[in-house]
Amino acid sequence: MYIDFFQKVFREYEAENAIVWKDEIFSYGWLLETLDYWLKYLEEQEIKGGTIVSLEADFSPNAIALFLALLEKGCILVPLTDSVAAKKIEFRQIAQVEVILTIDEGDNIRLLRTNHTVDHEILVNLQEKQEPGLVLFSSGSTGKSKAAVHNFVPLLEKFKVPRHSFRTLTFLLFDHIGGINTLLYSLANGGFIVTLQDRSPDAICGAIANYQLQLLPASPTLLNLILLSEAYQRHDLSSLEVITYGTEVMPESTLTRLHHLFPKVKLLQTYGLSEVGILRSKSRDSNSLWFKIGGEGFETRIVEGKLEIRAQSAMLGYLNAPNPFTEDGWFKTGDAVEVDGEYIRILGRTSELINVGGEKVYPIEVESTLMLMEGIEDVAVNGVSHPITGQIVQARVKLKTSETLPEFRKRMWQFCQDKLAKYKIPQKVVLVEEWLHSDRFKKMRREVPANEYSQ
Amino acid sequence: MIESTAQTEKLIDLILQNIEEIGEEQQIEIPANLSTDTALFGKHGLFDSLGLVSLVVALEQRIEDEFELSISLADERAMSQKNSPYRTIESLANYAHSLMLEKQN
Repeated sequence: MYIDFFQKVFREYEAENAIVWKDEIFSYGWLLETLDYWLKYLEEQEIKGGTIVSLEADFSPNAIALFLALLEKGCILVPLTDSVAAKKIEFRQIAQVEVILTIDEGDNIRLLRTNHTVDHEILVNLQEKQEPGLVLFSSGSTGKSKAAVHNFVPLLEKFKVPRHSFRTLTFLLFDHIGGINTLLYSLANGGFIVTLQDRSPDAICGAIANYQLQLLPASPTLLNLILLSEAYQRHDLSSLEVITYGTEVMPESTLTRLHHLFPKVKLLQTYGLSEVGILRSKSRDSNSLWFKIGGEGFETRIVEGKLEIRAQSAMLGYLNAPNPFTEDGWFKTGDAVEVDGEYIRILGRTSELINVGGEKVYPIEVESTLMLMEGIEDVAVNGVSHPITGQIVQARVKLKTSETLPEFRKRMWQFCQDKLAKYKIPQKVVLVEEWLHSDRFKKMRREVPANEYSQ
Repeated sequence: MIESTAQTEKLIDLILQNIEEIGEEQQIEIPANLSTDTALFGKHGLFDSLGLVSLVVALEQRIEDEFELSISLADERAMSQKNSPYRTIESLANYAHSLMLEKQN
């Protein structure tokens, strides 16, 4: 009953292609049959509504069908992927997972029952309602991973409105609100979606060329890698119509370059959070960082320069952190914004704001300027405390050149002099060898010891 | 203590080099004649607070490269010294040297 509208679309598009996995194509008809198979399987295994089930898999045809079957059954879904391998056990405990369903690389299933007791208030309440749920873990790029619990029913609402379907791919996984959104949008509109095992710039551009994809959902970091690697020159991307970007702030320099290289492609900014879902958004134009957000079921307001959202699809709460909502249900996003009429522009996370002797600096502005320099592969800017000015601006830089630190610093100062206020020019520069982004193609500004990464 | 004097001299050298580099980078005018008692900060000092931060950070990094010692020239302790270590080139060299001795022992 929860996925009737999906089944209706599947029947309508029965002969059409739905999913590409490891270069094999699966139709909507296949999806419909496989969904039935998994519904029977859950019946046989006596997995009832309200059961907390972790689905541990990459996007595969069976994982997608099983995901929908669990949703239909009214289970509480905890999608986990290999990108959190090191934390899986901890995450299962936090989410009080009762049944573990693993789908391996060959698309085979394994079932395991745990002895966890479900006693978290939010989970118990959801179980009593017998409605499907979703537990998502934040990436923890700015602290520990928080587990957000959703009632899945309001999250599904927006997919019931038919919209334009695209030939697209998914680079985010289904343990991420953005990955789930891309998948459900595509399936609800009879779209064609390519799932990727290899998420390198060449694999992504290759898939666009091979399958004539029209829509690339991406993060600014991924787009930057595509530009830097020049992968876009090795593949024919002429089928692309739209690139959407989100999950982190877009550097102006990357957007300008992208628009210059792909003048006919629409560049759209998206906005969503695991706590509230994905909003509808509209960029002012392809070369602009100003955009409108909202849509049915969402209200927004700006309080002291920071964005707050009230959403019908808001999560019920965190399992491992205090309730973040105001009494009347507003969620403080922690994103500082500028406002121009009905448009906003995101400046950055207030938690990443650097205060140099009372002057405020957002990392993105400095990163965006540094990326205009020749020979820079990657850069991450953060604040480090310093007793003279409170904090100083630090840049960690991955260079393509063989410059020494003093040589680079000198070039950087010359370059930035007429582009940035003096206090914004990094006082401290550290040269690094490694890329400065996570598995989810999101910039890592916080310095963490190597062993903390969940690789 | 011959070694110590040599180390202090080396430090003064590094500070002078860094002053020149930062002056050039940040377009701060540096007089042609510098001496060990040239003021770095404060009244008639070479630098404002941002320039001083740059000097201190650059010097820490240079000391790490040259002596393989990681020291912090700006922390609560440096700020609470009776005489600021940032007064002159010499006072900064001496302060850096004292921290290096602690690390070496």
